[in-house]
Amino acid sequence: MTRQSSVPALSCSAVTVRYGPVTAIAGLSIEFAPDLIHAVVGQNGAGKTTFARVAAGLVRPEHGQITVNGRPLPTGSVPKARAAGVELVHQSFALPPSFTIAEAMEFGSTRPGGIFSARSLARRWKSHLRDLDISADPNSRIRDLPIEIQQGVEIARALVTESKLLILDEPTAVLSPSGIELLFDRIRRLKSMGVTVVLILHKIREVLAVADTVTVLRGGKHVAGPLPCTELESASLARLIIGDGTTVREGGDIKALTGAGAPESFERTAVPVTETPARTTAPLLEIRTVSTAPDSEGPPLSQIDVSLQPGEILGVAGVEGNGQRTLVRAIAGHADLISGTILFSGADVTRENLTERRRQGLRIIPFERNTEGLSLTSSLWENWSSGALLQGSLLRYVRPAQMRASCDTTLSRWDVLYHDCRQSAGSLSGGNAQKLILAREIDDEARLIVAAQPGRGLDVGATAFVWDALRSARDRGCGVLLISSDLDELFDISDRVLVMLSGRSVGEYSAPYDLQAIGAAMTGANQ
Amino acid sequence: MSGQLTSVLRSLVFVLFALLLCSAIFQTSGFSAVQVLNSIAEGAFLRPNAAAQSLRWGLPLFITAVGVAISFRAGYFNIGAQGQFYIGSIAAAICAEVLTGAPAIIVIPACFIAGMAGGAFWALWPGLLRIRSGTDEVITTLMGNFLASLLLIYVTSGPLKDPSGSGQQASSRPLDSSYRISDSLGVSPVIVTTALVTGLAMWLLVNRSAFGVLAGLAGRNGQMIRWLGAKQWQLGLASFLISGALAGLAGTLEFMGPNGRISSGFLPAHGFTAILIALVANTSVIGTAVASLFFGGLASAALYLPIMVGLPASAIDIINAAIALFITAKSAFVDRLLRVGRRDHG
Repeated sequence: MTRQSSVPALSCSAVTVRYGPVTAIAGLSIEFAPDLIHAVVGQNGAGKTTFARVAAGLVRPEHGQITVNGRPLPTGSVPKARAAGVELVHQSFALPPSFTIAEAMEFGSTRPGGIFSARSLARRWKSHLRDLDISADPNSRIRDLPIEIQQGVEIARALVTESKLLILDEPTAVLSPSGIELLFDRIRRLKSMGVTVVLILHKIREVLAVADTVTVLRGGKHVAGPLPCTELESASLARLIIGDGTTVREGGDIKALTGAGAPESFERTAVPVTETPARTTAPLLEIRTVSTAPDSEGPPLSQIDVSLQPGEILGVAGVEGNGQRTLVRAIAGHADLISGTILFSGADVTRENLTERRRQGLRIIPFERNTEGLSLTSSLWENWSSGALLQGSLLRYVRPAQMRASCDTTLSRWDVLYHDCRQSAGSLSGGNAQKLILAREIDDEARLIVAAQPGRGLDVGATAFVWDALRSARDRGCGVLLISSDLDELFDISDRVLVMLSGRSVGEYSAPYDLQAIGAAMTGANQ
Repeated sequence: MSGQLTSVLRSLVFVLFALLLCSAIFQTSGFSAVQVLNSIAEGAFLRPNAAAQSLRWGLPLFITAVGVAISFRAGYFNIGAQGQFYIGSIAAAICAEVLTGAPAIIVIPACFIAGMAGGAFWALWPGLLRIRSGTDEVITTLMGNFLASLLLIYVTSGPLKDPSGSGQQASSRPLDSSYRISDSLGVSPVIVTTALVTGLAMWLLVNRSAFGVLAGLAGRNGQMIRWLGAKQWQLGLASFLISGALAGLAGTLEFMGPNGRISSGFLPAHGFTAILIALVANTSVIGTAVASLFFGGLASAALYLPIMVGLPASAIDIINAAIALFITAKSAFVDRLLRVGRRDHG
């Protein structure tokens, strides 16, 4: 390996980071050889993001040392890390939405200042953008850009300082399949330009597609690597990530979870409980030719029909931004309907508000876990009890101690890891935060569960937990509407899959799923 | 609980810093800091009658501050307590004027209701502007303070003018003594009971009602509550109206109690001190009660300072301003200090 022969581009030795009582990384030592694409994988809470933040100077470790190209890097200083050529692209983009691309570039360069005009800025950054194959106009605003381009700009921003080491934290989480391809092309191009890239990833398929080496972390500790990807099998890598402690899952599940299988080879593993109930019963949810008024929050729905039976998981596939969010808002009663009706079990609820719809058993796991699903600065018990508190008089007497006790009971049943239910929801890891939402939304009265991207950003174990929760809800007769841009997820657990394009339903598929046909429907290629 | 303890400790550290800073200022301007602090303590708590004096200022402050705290919790930054306080006192004064001659048992409750309604009204229009068109309530409530001050000048030098006034300050006619709820000392069973009932009701509302929990959530993340079917604006507006009503109630107490009349520009810092109290208490009801007594003590000491050490009463304003400065400044430093303390204690 080249590792022995050259100075590592980035090495950290015996790095330990603690957040209060939680140890995020314990004595981590890794070396990354220069001019390669390295992947760092692991479950949520494995310490991947913390590692990235230490390397970029955002977090000062308690112990340990970082060296860049053999030179020690003072820890805990972003300017020093940037001066040494280390740049981090965050999972959630950090560019100011109202800036133009050129302004964002100038903002990101380490030597700002001076007087400039819009034209001189555009001129200055045009060639930089062209080198990275970003075709957008430097004068367009960040907020108007599609997400793939935004990410491209984010990467370009990180490279304005001639950085030699680029760390990308879960760059694929927000991208569509074609966006991921574009990203990987970009990363390969960077490699050829002599940039060492460290990718923090979730999916084994993506790791094997782009990385030269892979490093596995688990529970804040180094498990293996950097291992050369050419000598690696997806199954053994999956075992390294998950460890031996977890329960053995169905073969199909593990492949879908780690993205290890070739997509064409997907077989259905979700066993239908019963044959679809006789159509004489009214569907649990029926959306009849609903159209919505255009608003700022997303493309409107246009004449969409959806029907969901009890005991069924209906997957909604589609490239992001094709009306999935509006669909969820329409079901919640938050969208402005121009035409059409929404029925729950045959009863028209088009005019009912969300409180009434929830009373009838509607539960929603919203798209944005941290803003729509939880109040991060509020306590766990407040977050958990809010759904029930809203059913009934606002002035009724409540006993917080009692609510905390039943919150404790419920959360431990849902396997949430926490200290005290008075801690803030923001202190939970992503997986535990999602479990908290599940604990609130999948209660005994739940009948229709709308799950919007429930597995996004979660690790393998937590995603499996979410799927199991949805499956068992289905098995006891709930209807589940699962919106996801992850086809692996949809194929694995949906009984049917509906494809959305531009606010319309453009096709319905059942197992065995034809990836080609669904992919064509998602992009409108079949029209 | 530990979170609450930390926030109380944090506030104490801020107050301590502010006192240190002010001591340095007093010392460098030629006064003995020790002597100043000593006479503040004496004027606030140690002198005979000092406790009653501190209560006189602290009780109305508490009523206003607890309202401010409730609007802060729900995510509305109501800085119009001063204006709501004035409008409340004006409404009560008008009510008393209209009902003159009726028995006290009717007039006093009617004035309380009028005062609270007046204060609530002065919170209603900024609240509606915020909901309807997103107008920042910080701007509207602040402007509301100026409007209320001008309105106070108008009614005290116009419709409610006391013709026998000395002319130094425009005032309303004095309230008939049978309608007064306290003498000029300002501590009476009615006022103490009003403060206690308000405190208890607000504590129950915040800590023992569905409304309290949900309004707290709405203040921290309105979007999340919306996805559960709540009408965030209802929770927010209700809290905002309560806040205005309580400031109006405090105005009524001042009018019917210690002052016995309303005068243009009376108690010009009341609403702002109440905001400070809500911030120091980190919007907790019990914390607000404690902080109100402390700031009531400072207000009482303000009258004592000129006599004892020859400092102008506005020296207390410097202390208040210094506390505000530290409370609103970034608290990272103090947080680190407290964390170090915690680690030392295990």
